[in-house]
Amino acid sequence: MKSYKLWSLVLAVTFLAACDKKLDLEPAQSISESLALDNDVNVKSVLLGAYDALATDGLLGGNGVRDAELVGADGEIRWVGTFDGPRQIFNHQMIAENGEAQNMWEDAYNAINISNNVLEALEVVNADDRAVVEGEARWIRAMAYFQLVRFYGQAYQAGGNNSQLGVPLVLRATRKIDEASFVPRNTVEECYTQILDDITQAKTLLPEDNGIRAGKYAAAALAARVYLQMGRYAEARDNANEVIGSGAYSLLSNYADLWNQEDNTNEDIFAVQISSQDFAEATLVIYYSIPGFGGRDGDIEIEQKHLNLYSAGDDRLDLHYSGNGAMRTGKWRNQYNNQSVIRLAEMYLIRAESNARLSTSVGATPAADYNAIHTRAGLPAKNTVTLDDILLERRLELAHEGHRIHDIKRLKGTADGLNWDDNKLLFPIPAREIEVNAKLAQNAGY
Amino acid sequence: MKRLLITFLVALVAMSVSAQRKIDGQISDRSTGEALVGATVLLKGSNSGTTTNIDGIFSIAVPSESSVLVVSYTGFETQEVTVGSQMKINIQMVPSSTLVEEVVVIGYGKQIKSTLTGNIAKIGGENLKSMPVVSVEQAMQGQAAGVFVESVNGKLGSAMRVRVRGVGSINAGTEPLYVIDGIPIAKDARNTSGAPLNPLADLNFNDVESIEVLKDASAKAIYGARGSNGVVLITTKSGKSGRSRVELDVQSGISMATGKREFLNAAEFVDYFTEAANNSDDLEGVAYDDPNSWTQFLFGRFRRYSGRNDSWMEKVDRTDWQDEALRTGSITNANLSFSGGNEKMRYYASGNYGDNEGILVGNNFEKMGGRLNIDFDATDRLRVGVNLSLARTITKQVSDDNAFSTPMQLVAMAPITPTRDEDGVLYDRPVTTYYNGLIDVEDGQRNVISFRSIANVFGDYKFNEHFGLRVEGSANLYNVRDDAFFGERTDNGNDSRGYAYSAFAGATDYNTNAVFHWDQDFDKHALGLDLGTELFTSEYTRTFVEGEQFPSDEFKTLASAASITSGTSTITNYSFLSYFGRARYNFSRKYLVNLSARMDGSSRFGKDNRYAFFPAASAGWVLSEEDFLKDNDLFSFLKFRASWGISGNADIGNFQSLGLYGAGNYNGVSTLGPSQIANPQLTWEKSTEIDFGLDFGLFNNRLNGEIDYYVKNTTDLLLNVPVPSTSGFASQFQNIGELQNKGIEFTLNSNNLVGKFSWTTSLNLAANKNKVVSLAGGQTIIDDGSSRYTNVIRVGSPIGVFYGADYAGVDPDNGDAIWYVNQMDDNGNIINPDATTNDYNEANFVELGSPLPTLIGGLDNTFSFAGLTLNVRFQGQTGNSIHNAGGGFMSCNACWFDNQTRDQLDSWKNPGDVTNVPEARLGYSNGDQSRSSRYISDGAYLRLKNLTLAYDFPSKMLSKAKIRDLRLYVTGTNLLTFTKYDGWDPEVTTDFLASNVVYGVDFYAAPQPKNIVAGIRIGF
Repeated sequence: MKSYKLWSLVLAVTFLAACDKKLDLEPAQSISESLALDNDVNVKSVLLGAYDALATDGLLGGNGVRDAELVGADGEIRWVGTFDGPRQIFNHQMIAENGEAQNMWEDAYNAINISNNVLEALEVVNADDRAVVEGEARWIRAMAYFQLVRFYGQAYQAGGNNSQLGVPLVLRATRKIDEASFVPRNTVEECYTQILDDITQAKTLLPEDNGIRAGKYAAAALAARVYLQMGRYAEARDNANEVIGSGAYSLLSNYADLWNQEDNTNEDIFAVQISSQDFAEATLVIYYSIPGFGGRDGDIEIEQKHLNLYSAGDDRLDLHYSGNGAMRTGKWRNQYNNQSVIRLAEMYLIRAESNARLSTSVGATPAADYNAIHTRAGLPAKNTVTLDDILLERRLELAHEGHRIHDIKRLKGTADGLNWDDNKLLFPIPAREIEVNAKLAQNAGY
Repeated sequence: MKRLLITFLVALVAMSVSAQRKIDGQISDRSTGEALVGATVLLKGSNSGTTTNIDGIFSIAVPSESSVLVVSYTGFETQEVTVGSQMKINIQMVPSSTLVEEVVVIGYGKQIKSTLTGNIAKIGGENLKSMPVVSVEQAMQGQAAGVFVESVNGKLGSAMRVRVRGVGSINAGTEPLYVIDGIPIAKDARNTSGAPLNPLADLNFNDVESIEVLKDASAKAIYGARGSNGVVLITTKSGKSGRSRVELDVQSGISMATGKREFLNAAEFVDYFTEAANNSDDLEGVAYDDPNSWTQFLFGRFRRYSGRNDSWMEKVDRTDWQDEALRTGSITNANLSFSGGNEKMRYYASGNYGDNEGILVGNNFEKMGGRLNIDFDATDRLRVGVNLSLARTITKQVSDDNAFSTPMQLVAMAPITPTRDEDGVLYDRPVTTYYNGLIDVEDGQRNVISFRSIANVFGDYKFNEHFGLRVEGSANLYNVRDDAFFGERTDNGNDSRGYAYSAFAGATDYNTNAVFHWDQDFDKHALGLDLGTELFTSEYTRTFVEGEQFPSDEFKTLASAASITSGTSTITNYSFLSYFGRARYNFSRKYLVNLSARMDGSSRFGKDNRYAFFPAASAGWVLSEEDFLKDNDLFSFLKFRASWGISGNADIGNFQSLGLYGAGNYNGVSTLGPSQIANPQLTWEKSTEIDFGLDFGLFNNRLNGEIDYYVKNTTDLLLNVPVPSTSGFASQFQNIGELQNKGIEFTLNSNNLVGKFSWTTSLNLAANKNKVVSLAGGQTIIDDGSSRYTNVIRVGSPIGVFYGADYAGVDPDNGDAIWYVNQMDDNGNIINPDATTNDYNEANFVELGSPLPTLIGGLDNTFSFAGLTLNVRFQGQTGNSIHNAGGGFMSCNACWFDNQTRDQLDSWKNPGDVTNVPEARLGYSNGDQSRSSRYISDGAYLRLKNLTLAYDFPSKMLSKAKIRDLRLYVTGTNLLTFTKYDGWDPEVTTDFLASNVVYGVDFYAAPQPKNIVAGIRIGF
């Protein structure tokens, strides 16, 4: 009996001593933060992750485009879907709990945090690639902030001091949550200053050709877009001119070929890359198209008021199609194809508008730029071109691409009877953020 | 001298032998007539005695006619019989009504109930048997005080919410630990898609001998780190020595929805929506016949919804969509068991099959399984045994409540829409308002097949009569396969010529433990010691493949998919290592003390905070053993109990303490992105609990019960603290915050009538008050900012309290929805309680009710007479509210095209109208904001949970046919429900959101089934 006892005890003790190691387990699908940021290969993967974050549904993947169109719908498009978040945006009846507003905010700051992480890990990147990696991270951060400041802050006013509240500028990577994580909103001026700083640096850091990633001209194109929004036409013009003049891109001859492509076209300066392996975050198709193309029920209908803006024979009019009992845009109708974000035609239109406003002809005359776009759509060239012609052309050429409300604000127009600076045309700071962070001020009216 | 003595003794023995005679007899159970094996027969005043054999027969020598036999058997009243002149004495034993010798299962052992110092609720297997429900939890519902059981909703096999003494955590698990025959069973759902299914649905509860729920700290502290939410010990049946028994139970019946909602019929629909469109036109100053008017837009929609014609003008009902979603289902269950054994070996074997066609179209549940429990005495000292079970379930799953394809969302469709076109093909959009979920039923399939095997091997070695070692090793292998196919007409498959996925998930859990037991009585001092160790490891793997582009709908497996769109495999694991000990002491079963402690380590926590210590202490005083009460006629039993202890909760995801980057994909290249922010200090959530209890038995225990008061404070909450999203993260797991549950439990059992007509009553009531005491520094609320769901976490209130705009009804002047402004001063007092606004953004949020019941209970009555037994069990709860989050669609005064509930017809029409339903305005938001008290109502309910009428044929009649017993019965569940909630059913939480915080929310959730079955049970 004694031996039994002894044996059991010995067994039990050895068994347990061996077990302590059983508690040391490592995850299989993730790696630790320090490992992710401690070598060249991983930091570059993190950088690509920032593109992925930029391409999510709350930002360039879809809703950043969709919501700019819904806020500025003005009777030209109609939201008929059952989701109440977009319906509130469309009806200008947003509440602070609106899920779309929260989604965009979270997605943007996620992309910003990843960019910040990359920027703080540059020293482990191969010296040869360091400039490119930094440039791309800055470009992504600028893009995310530009998206945020236009939706959540009152419009930038040329010549003003722009002390109206924009969004919090977070420029350091988050490694822990502490007092510094609770940030107040910066002014619109500060936001634009930061955006320009990032783009300007990106422009010098990035190579001319960078594949499907942001290169030097994607930075110049974004700069043109930002300066235009600020009413700084000379800089807008010069950056657009730089892109056009580079010869890196060309206008496609057939407007319809721009859309629903597996690969970037020659006209794309930057596009969100989508494939059948990676499409869940691309949501434009979901709302703009119909079930047969992977859409919902045809949640966004194009109204006659919009179609009336085109003249007969305009290829851009013909890109619209009838489906599920209403007119739709053909721009977003394949769930597995790329979505264009910045393309060359926009540069022509920015250069034309800026030249017209400044009465200059840098690169080309406004009429020449106008006609390049106008005739490509299958329409006859015009001899004299006014600023209004250019603005209309811009509206038709870039319809449904997420420019509408930003142009209305820039041009001090109205949407659905609301003045360009009406609080109802602003997103609320998400209610959740206000609850969590007492330093955040809410927009008026929420 | 020595020799003399021996002679004398021999003579004495011889004399006594000569004076003795031998008598024999049989001992049986008076209630069943069954022989009792192993009953003790003692000759009073002597040391001689015997036990009955496997036929209940004994034989004993008695010295005289005045000799008295003392017959005793566990669970029966001890009897004394004077021998007299009889040679054969048959004794019928009366089941004991006392609880004194009742044995309950405790963690790693058993204990006599009267010596318990902790609170353990026991549900006997006979109370679960033959219930026509899917899972063991459903069978338990309403049967134990303080054990809240709720089906998430009425889908078959859906998750169950079980809360022992309130909700014990905010972000960590709140389900009790389930231990089946010694092995902890993880309750993580393993189905890949859709809302979690209940993994315990595969357990055949007809095999259950008893369920013990360990409720207070003293009882559950032996499970230390995993005990904080209570422990449910499920013990399956084992064989008993004696004649073999066979039992067959077959039942069959129907299943219906407990309730329906009323929706607009075609005429009401056409008229009401026309009114709504007209109102919107009036608001915009547009003529009704203007092509851009809402009215013309509506008529266009009506044409679409009619199947592209003007039949809507006839206002004839084409489809009652609710009837398309709900059907009369069926239930069939069969259960066969064998049991028996001899002195050395005992066995129990069973097989079961159940098929349940659900009340929702496309929803089915099938289960089959088998069990073999064997134990035998290998030597005098060593007993070894094996429990083996195999179970397989097949769930035909329907999509989650928020999917357009889920059957209940069919109610959103227009009654003017025909179900099918002239060719008999189901209509889809744009004729139907939304995707027609019936296409999923016709052209899709989703099967979740689970397979589980649990094997438990144990050995019990006795070093001597006091000291032993029990070693157990168990494996729980649980595999789930999800196969789905959606044809090219379905929502999932119509843009890709069919879509299919196949997922395989496997969980492998191993548990080993070794426990030394020592039990010894020293005169009046009884001492017991347990010392043990346990190791639990769990590994979970999953693979998933999806594809599209099928040649036709006849090809349903991925082999035929032209395009495999994605594939993945994952693996994750965790482990626990524990050491524990327990000491019991009692003096004359009068003064009781119990101490226990457990040291637990888990891989889930940071290295520095990996181990934690969980002690508990308890004491009891059995007053009825004191001289002053010993022979009291009123009190047959009276015991005070008090306990204190700490238990833990580690039920969070794996690797939560680490700062992590996960892989992604962009443009076909892998990416890395931060997925989790680090917290190396992360450690156990701790619950400190005190309990004061009183056990009583009155009138010779005909009336007995328990009263308990407890306070449970949970600190160091594993809280997913929301952080500013500007950090790039939405939340971080921290040990912060405090939660409290306190309450009173009351159990009363009464034998109201005994004899030919018997009537027993069992009542349990539990009041629990749940309160969030504190959150992260400075935070008073955690609100995810949803526009549709109202549950939040708020300091000072129950977890999940509804928080939103306070609906004030309708402005009689203009029909606008209005809310109370509820502006508050710095102290949180409302400044002007009567102020209202028609701007939702101006309404300050206030608390609008709690989804947590404050009182739950069950009432069970059983009446028996001449073989007839009637069991009536009510179950109910009160104090909770229900939020109908679908109200913003189905009851929004025609804000959009969803068919409306009929109550919306009361909407405001003319100035001066006083109503609660705002003016109908198509396309406008007028009171449809879901986060509002407009959609919150009282959720209290009382329901007839179970009604069984059974007839047992008299054994005399049966014995000729060699039948031991025969029972015919009819059972109904959920037959009646009394509630003020006007939705489908008050036992509801929408499945796709259900969590610790979000519950009591109805969003097209399936109602509970009402089942009626007839059955036959026959035993040989």
